[in-house]
Amino acid sequence: MTEIVNSPASVIAAAGTSVNQAAVGMQPGNATEAEMAVDSEFVGNKLGIGFYLSGFWIAAISLAALFAPWLPIKPLEGLESLGERETAPSLTHFFGTNANGKDMFALCIWGARTSLIVGFASITLGMLTGGTIGIVAGFIGGVFDKVSSFIILLLLSIPALILAIFILQSIGNSLFWITITIAILSIPALARLARAQTLAFAEREFVTASRALGAKNGRVMVREILPNVLMPLLALALLAMAIAIVAEGTLSFLGLGAANSSDSWGKLIFAGTPQTLLKDSPWICFAPILMIFLTVLSLNYLGDQVRRRFDVQDIPL
Amino acid sequence: MSSFILKRLGLLVAVVFSVTLLTFLAVNLQGDPLVTLSGPVCETPIDPDFVDECIRLGEDFNLEDPLPIRYAKWVGGMATGNFGRSLVDRVPVSTIMRQRFPETLLLMAMAQFMALGIAIPWAVKAAQSNNGRFDKTSTTMSFAFIAVPAFALGPILIYLFVLTWEIFPASYDDANIGSRLFSLFLPALTLAFGLAAGYQRLLRTDLGATLQEDFILMAKAKGMSTRRIMWGHALRSSLFSIVTVFAINTGALVGGALVVETIFGITGMGGALAEAAIREDFTLVLAGVVVISTGFVVLNILADTLYAIIDPRVRND
Amino acid sequence: MSDQNWESTKVIRAPGATEAPLLEVTDLITHFKTPRGVARAVDGVTFTLERGKTLGIVGESGSGKTVLSRSIMGLIEGKNVIRTGSVKFEGKEISSGEAIRHAWGTDMSMIFQDPMTALNPVMKAGKQITESLRKNLDMDKGEANDTAVALLKSVGIPSPEQRVKAYPHELSGGMRQRVMIAIALACGPKLLFADEPTTALDVTVQAQILDLLQEQQRERFMSVILVTHDLGVVAGRADEIMVMYAGQVVEKASARTLFADMRHPYTHSLLQSIPKLSDPSHTRLEAIPGRPPDIVNPPKGCKFAPRCKYAQDRCHEENPDLTEGPSGGHVYRCFYPVVGGSNGGGSTPIKLNGSGDSPVSSITPQEA
Repeated sequence: MTEIVNSPASVIAAAGTSVNQAAVGMQPGNATEAEMAVDSEFVGNKLGIGFYLSGFWIAAISLAALFAPWLPIKPLEGLESLGERETAPSLTHFFGTNANGKDMFALCIWGARTSLIVGFASITLGMLTGGTIGIVAGFIGGVFDKVSSFIILLLLSIPALILAIFILQSIGNSLFWITITIAILSIPALARLARAQTLAFAEREFVTASRALGAKNGRVMVREILPNVLMPLLALALLAMAIAIVAEGTLSFLGLGAANSSDSWGKLIFAGTPQTLLKDSPWICFAPILMIFLTVLSLNYLGDQVRRRFDVQDIPL
Repeated sequence: MSSFILKRLGLLVAVVFSVTLLTFLAVNLQGDPLVTLSGPVCETPIDPDFVDECIRLGEDFNLEDPLPIRYAKWVGGMATGNFGRSLVDRVPVSTIMRQRFPETLLLMAMAQFMALGIAIPWAVKAAQSNNGRFDKTSTTMSFAFIAVPAFALGPILIYLFVLTWEIFPASYDDANIGSRLFSLFLPALTLAFGLAAGYQRLLRTDLGATLQEDFILMAKAKGMSTRRIMWGHALRSSLFSIVTVFAINTGALVGGALVVETIFGITGMGGALAEAAIREDFTLVLAGVVVISTGFVVLNILADTLYAIIDPRVRND
Repeated sequence: MSDQNWESTKVIRAPGATEAPLLEVTDLITHFKTPRGVARAVDGVTFTLERGKTLGIVGESGSGKTVLSRSIMGLIEGKNVIRTGSVKFEGKEISSGEAIRHAWGTDMSMIFQDPMTALNPVMKAGKQITESLRKNLDMDKGEANDTAVALLKSVGIPSPEQRVKAYPHELSGGMRQRVMIAIALACGPKLLFADEPTTALDVTVQAQILDLLQEQQRERFMSVILVTHDLGVVAGRADEIMVMYAGQVVEKASARTLFADMRHPYTHSLLQSIPKLSDPSHTRLEAIPGRPPDIVNPPKGCKFAPRCKYAQDRCHEENPDLTEGPSGGHVYRCFYPVVGGSNGGGSTPIKLNGSGDSPVSSITPQEA
């Protein structure tokens, strides 16, 4: 059955193989061994500068978010001195100040807390749930597989944003529910991947060997299948995290975001969009945009690198 | 082939059924459905001024009937085009949809075609450079494009093209088709960026694989120019994946349209939906969810069928 | 440039003979940089080819024969390719890629092994011919179309007017190969590379295609390089035969000399591995044990030594140079050549008749 692509991430994933591998194109019967010469840069486990930059950024922003209350950044409250409203970026205010006089840099770091927490928590939840469902469905099969596959198809059949709106509207839109919603949205892709990988591995000999030695299903799943499924799942998870952050941003932007927490990046961007504000003080909008951009870019890059290393070609969705 | 279509149609029915059922249950099982559907105005004790209104609404929503009949009447109503009235301004939802859907469709169509217009030449050039500088920078750039969410790119484009360089109008102008297309240019571009990057990567991979085929070498050995080989030979065989994803993306694009319409103030269905979500105009949200989901599923099925038809394995036998 | 014989077949004929050899290859080397090391696909090949003559290149997969023909034609390019040595076409040095592009299709062309993959599956047969005609010979649409039909006719395709509009998958294997030949010959090249032209075809069709090639060659006074793994294919059809192993020439001689006086053990093994009708039934097929060597890290000494039943110590230490045999133009690369057919294998030298154009391949069944 062909895969139903549902989001930008799945388009990326469906693009599959890296450019280099595609360029070489291992076509049997056509390439002589000589024509399989590969660009030497691709081979070997050389981690490029991109990897380090991305990793650095993620680490930096995560740490900053974690230790925000103790960092030497401007406080959010009590700084509403009139003279400081909408000032351009300067040495005292790295990213300028917003309409209320709050320091943009501080706002961005606090915003990182919300955005990253949602991103990380939702995908972790999704990975745990989806991964488990996928592995069990792939390994045990039967009714469980059929039912879960249908539910997944169902989830995929509704455009993500619409589903999100619906859930948040009818149930509630706190930070908690946003996280749950995004987790639910991520389950189909993760579960499908886990299932496909499980199916591929379940046939392999080491699984048969393990069973022959008397291992029960559960044990086999955890000790043999799981470690092999983990890496491709992780690759997809990194990409998914990027999407989760964007999703949270979108929801906040649309006003469906959590009303009761510190402004996430999406909220901050939204605050900066009114045209008068945008024209005169663009930094209010651009600072959080930069944050999101760097974070999403890094996550995408890292996810892609992990995928290339573990040679996951077609990530089925 | 026909069994394949039948199965998919069965799926369509199942999905629509599930979606409507879920939304129905979500509305009707949460406390007093009257309140959910008509807002706090009809909370008991009901303000005497509104009693008549609330009774009438109760009739509209068939609240006297038992649940299953209510459901049947509701779905029946939708099937005949009756989606109830907007809770906020009492306008029939079907009227709203009829007015606003065309804008959204226009926006989505523009975005898709702009995306293709960008992606195809881009991918061809990248394939030609074949691991050269352009190819590698393209990969990085695709990453970047995908990393910029619509709600981030929108303000940036507005800042540049509307506020600073004043090329495009500040608000949506629907005087005639010409002005509509013109005002839709930036919004469509915002959506097209992410789409184009995805298409480009997909096409680049497929092109890379096609270029390894023997018939490409033969065309080369015939003396054909690189340009002719790319556009006349390679491209045609590489478009399959894009065609499928194109169809599927159209459905997923709705979410993007939502965001973009909000940013650019376009009076389309997406914007209406977003507003409705914030203003808790439940009937509109419901209608939107059901209609869009159904459309999405239909598109997915079409895409699957299309792929099965175009698939070269079927063709070349 | 073209001798236009419109009345009969509208086929374009390669212009008249010149004295100098058409193709002179000297010490051609084509190596590829791979992550494992440098793959020495073609490791020093020298030969010449006259107008109108056929050179048969024989070898297993991995012998470098395909890379050789593509490298000569200049089709192999890229930053991982090392190509040294001299290739002279009509006396002029030719290189790779853009510099030689103008010659492709017009002066030299190539037909490939599998017509199913070598023809564009979504393009009509006629178009694949006419696009070459229009680009290389500047013909207009009508002229090109007529020529295409004439070409299809000349390669033996019935109802060419209909076939011109057919897609490759609508044609049989043999017809596809004929179409490919038509495409390759459309602009009247002086040199044709035929890379395993019959391997993907049924046995019955193989002889027809080879006959067709010979006929076209004669009519056009064209040189052909016939690359194959099957010694039987070149028997009776090639003027000179060159046997390759692991990127090197191990024996080269005129066809007559080769079959009468083959010296290299590998050539002998090739010959012996062809099943013969005259053998009693259930005769064991003679295979050559072992596998072709790794071209990235080839063994020290003679490349064939690990599989050679006559190998001595010296063979494992030194790689022999080419020695000249008694008849003119016969070279082989062996310290202990097999002389006089006395190798205990009972091989029967294949009879050639004088004209060389009787299809010997129909006597000796092709090996798969």
